[in-house]
Amino acid sequence: MSDLDDFKATYFDECSELLTEMEEQFAAIEAGERDADRLNAVFRAIHSVKGGAGAFGFSALVGFAHAYETLLDYVRDGRVEMTDDVVTLCIRANDIVADYVKAAQTGEALPADYGQEEKERFDALARGERADDDEGGEPMEEFDLEFVPVMVNIGGGEDAPDDAGFDLGDFGGVADELANSNDDLAEDAFDAPPLEAVPGQWEIHFTPHTALYARANDPLLLFRELAVLGEMQVRPVLTAMPSLAEFEPFAVYCSWEITLISESLTEAMIREVFEFVEGDCDIAVAQVGAAGAPEASAGVASATAKPAIEAEPDTSDLLALADDEVSDLLDFNLDTDVVAPPVAAAKAEVAVATPHADAIIKPAEDDTFEEAPGLSFAELAASIVPSPVAKPKPVVAAAPPKPAAPAASSDGEDHGSKASVGVQSIRVDLDKVDRVVNMVGELVITQSMLTQQMDETLRARYTELVRGLEVLAQTTRGLQDSVMAIRAQPVKSVFSRMPRLVRELATKTGKKIKLETIGENTEIDKTIIEQLSDPLTHMIRNSADHGLESVEKRLAIGKSDTGTIRLSAEQAGGNILIIVEDDGAGINRERVLQVARDKGIVAPDVNPTDEQIDQLIFAPGFSTASEVSDLSGRGVGMDVVLSNIKKIGGSVHVRSSTGKGTRMTLRLPLTLAVLDVMLVKVGVSPYVVPLSSIVETIQCSRASFERVPSGGQVLQVRGEYVQVIDLAKRFDLQNETESDNRFVVLCEAEGSAKVALIVDDIIGQQQVVIKSLEENFERVDGIAGGTILGDGNVALIVDVQGLKTTIVHKNAA
Amino acid sequence: MADKSAVAAQNSLQLIAFSIGEQTYGVEITTVREIRAWNGATPLPNTREFVRGVINLRGTIVPIFDLRARFGDGQTSPTKNHVVVVMSVGDKWVGILVDAVSDILTVSKDDIHNVPEGNSIDTELLNGIVTHESRMVGLIDLHAVVSGAKLDG
Repeated sequence: MSDLDDFKATYFDECSELLTEMEEQFAAIEAGERDADRLNAVFRAIHSVKGGAGAFGFSALVGFAHAYETLLDYVRDGRVEMTDDVVTLCIRANDIVADYVKAAQTGEALPADYGQEEKERFDALARGERADDDEGGEPMEEFDLEFVPVMVNIGGGEDAPDDAGFDLGDFGGVADELANSNDDLAEDAFDAPPLEAVPGQWEIHFTPHTALYARANDPLLLFRELAVLGEMQVRPVLTAMPSLAEFEPFAVYCSWEITLISESLTEAMIREVFEFVEGDCDIAVAQVGAAGAPEASAGVASATAKPAIEAEPDTSDLLALADDEVSDLLDFNLDTDVVAPPVAAAKAEVAVATPHADAIIKPAEDDTFEEAPGLSFAELAASIVPSPVAKPKPVVAAAPPKPAAPAASSDGEDHGSKASVGVQSIRVDLDKVDRVVNMVGELVITQSMLTQQMDETLRARYTELVRGLEVLAQTTRGLQDSVMAIRAQPVKSVFSRMPRLVRELATKTGKKIKLETIGENTEIDKTIIEQLSDPLTHMIRNSADHGLESVEKRLAIGKSDTGTIRLSAEQAGGNILIIVEDDGAGINRERVLQVARDKGIVAPDVNPTDEQIDQLIFAPGFSTASEVSDLSGRGVGMDVVLSNIKKIGGSVHVRSSTGKGTRMTLRLPLTLAVLDVMLVKVGVSPYVVPLSSIVETIQCSRASFERVPSGGQVLQVRGEYVQVIDLAKRFDLQNETESDNRFVVLCEAEGSAKVALIVDDIIGQQQVVIKSLEENFERVDGIAGGTILGDGNVALIVDVQGLKTTIVHKNAA
Repeated sequence: MADKSAVAAQNSLQLIAFSIGEQTYGVEITTVREIRAWNGATPLPNTREFVRGVINLRGTIVPIFDLRARFGDGQTSPTKNHVVVVMSVGDKWVGILVDAVSDILTVSKDDIHNVPEGNSIDTELLNGIVTHESRMVGLIDLHAVVSGAKLDG
């Protein structure tokens, strides 16, 4: 079922986009922008989530999403007021939907009553009670849905077996939640008393078309919604049921008659329930006693309605479904939207053919599929998402006709709404893009190799060739940028998960925390984005747990009671800076240094600077659970942050100012693949230093070195004293260059501290493709990775930041 | 073909045999990716002397281990005639530097003996010893060979 897996993957992709959008919209709504467009966007998003969930049979998700959607619908109509309480409830609901989606994705089960409380509040709100009223009314689940069973004569003479009775209660999922639906079934439908004509009694004839099921709608959910309106009776009408020989598994033979009784009922209220399936079904609504009211038929498929099926039912057509198709059907795990036409009970399982499945099994003789060849089933299911798939014909399942909301959000302004639907896009498998990226990487290497081969004499002789190479260089550059742009995504997708984290942390710690996000449209390579979530979570958790003070403490020291965590992203040259900043207490340096000394991370005779002490919180093994309590707690999991970030070629730097707050900066490469470097020689080995960290290069003969008491050297540059690292010594390599002919490469490691690297020679600048050392070896201190030079040899990439930090960590040997 | 190898796999091993000085060692042929002439390597800082450095193997960086040095007999002084045997260890590729590849041997599993106690480095780095045509062949334990490569590790 890899196809189905693909659809599911697409669905989950779309879900995460939709959830992000909901989060964004509510952030704006919370900030006071309560316009209809935003509500409509959320409403559409949740409906799409629900639609897909229905198609895949995630019944719990469908149930919750449906209740939430109903509430939103009421809010849109103005029947429920969008108070702050409601906004908070909705934000919580988004979180629950996200959890349900995640559960569906990972296959783990959430507790059965997960989100129940919220569901009840939706319901209470929908019934006009106030949001802050804890005593919500009856939850929707407990509505008395009265199903009247219908006997179907399948030719077994007068006494048809009981289990051939048409029993909606068998259809699992949501139906199961209707705890009483099974038990209250009347024993004998034929004796059901005729309904009395009461004022406020409505008769509804509801005949779904195939398309209704194809779009993952479920009559049961509609009935449930109707049940909210009044006292209800639902009777299936099976007169359309053909003989088994003519039975089409994907056709719809069942329609329903519904009697609804309520004093305050209007036709509009009933029609509204069916708003989403309009066009996919026939609906007749009439008040009993009013002119043209339908005859309340008993709705029984009696023996006279159809020729009785022969005693030996011919099930061969059904069984002609190839085995694997059947198992595919059953694979579906569709436990909600199966409304099985009653077939011989023995074959009921097979007959549980879901109308949606035919998108996979065969194109149905149905307009929807005819008109939309090549439409994936997931898109059909979630068809009102303006999903970025080229469609021959947009399929809009259930665009609410009422508000004039276009199918795509019309607000083109940059406040976090989706790009307008005018943007044509395709989904491409990341592997395909990666292949292109790698090819381009190799192309870059070859191009720089060719350029290197051209010495002065050649250049003078072959001007055309030189020009060609220059064009090639430019084109390669452009190609590379374009490929990288394909993989780039706004960091929004990670940032949008953080508000929820902060909400939960605030609840847990009892602090008041405000999260500000800045620059969430900054784009960065997708693989890097995927790696960002964990470190950011750790950093924000760290800020909330240990950086920010409690409300009382903040007030006592004259700060506002609400702590702020600011999350920002910006592009700085060839890097992306992601900054997590809090206005809390800062790092307790004395304690940090003490612990570091106790643990032997810092030698007793080394006196690190304040800045170096701050970095110690990232030192591996710096903090373990037992120390957390007696330290300010900084450092929990921070080494994880560092290793994660290093893995993607980035660095972390922290600055703290006591009493004012802490600022953690992640410096990340724009892409993983290519780096601008300076090629140097250390001893006889080629090394490369990332250009982004180089400030300047100086010939040693012109540099002014100074000895410091500890025996080391420092370099004086424009009034600054900079630590000197002789790479040959550091890397234990022979060097035979006269010291005056060597070079200083002045680098700016993360933050403000500079470091001077001494190398034997500078060869030039080029672009290289980063290769991992860890792939076949392990991490080496001071080395950020390797690269393959034009001559095929490996050069190692100097890890400037790593060189600096190991100084502090290394015991003074 | 498949039958033959299936039978063979049941009770016999095919080894690639190579020499370091007078010693013969072997590794299972299924772990060997390719055999290359020594062509230099980029030294890796902060690693033990038996890590000769890294080479570029068709776009992948592969570390090279000097087997002589690993057995504690000092570094090999490699020439163009020395050989790198590229092998897979788990999901990693590594190369080991040896003097020469001598043979492909088929040995019976029953003939493999435990390494006699005494020389700790041998017991540490060998999986067993097998005698083939009066030659003693040490079976290399690759996982052990590539461990402990970093100075601080």
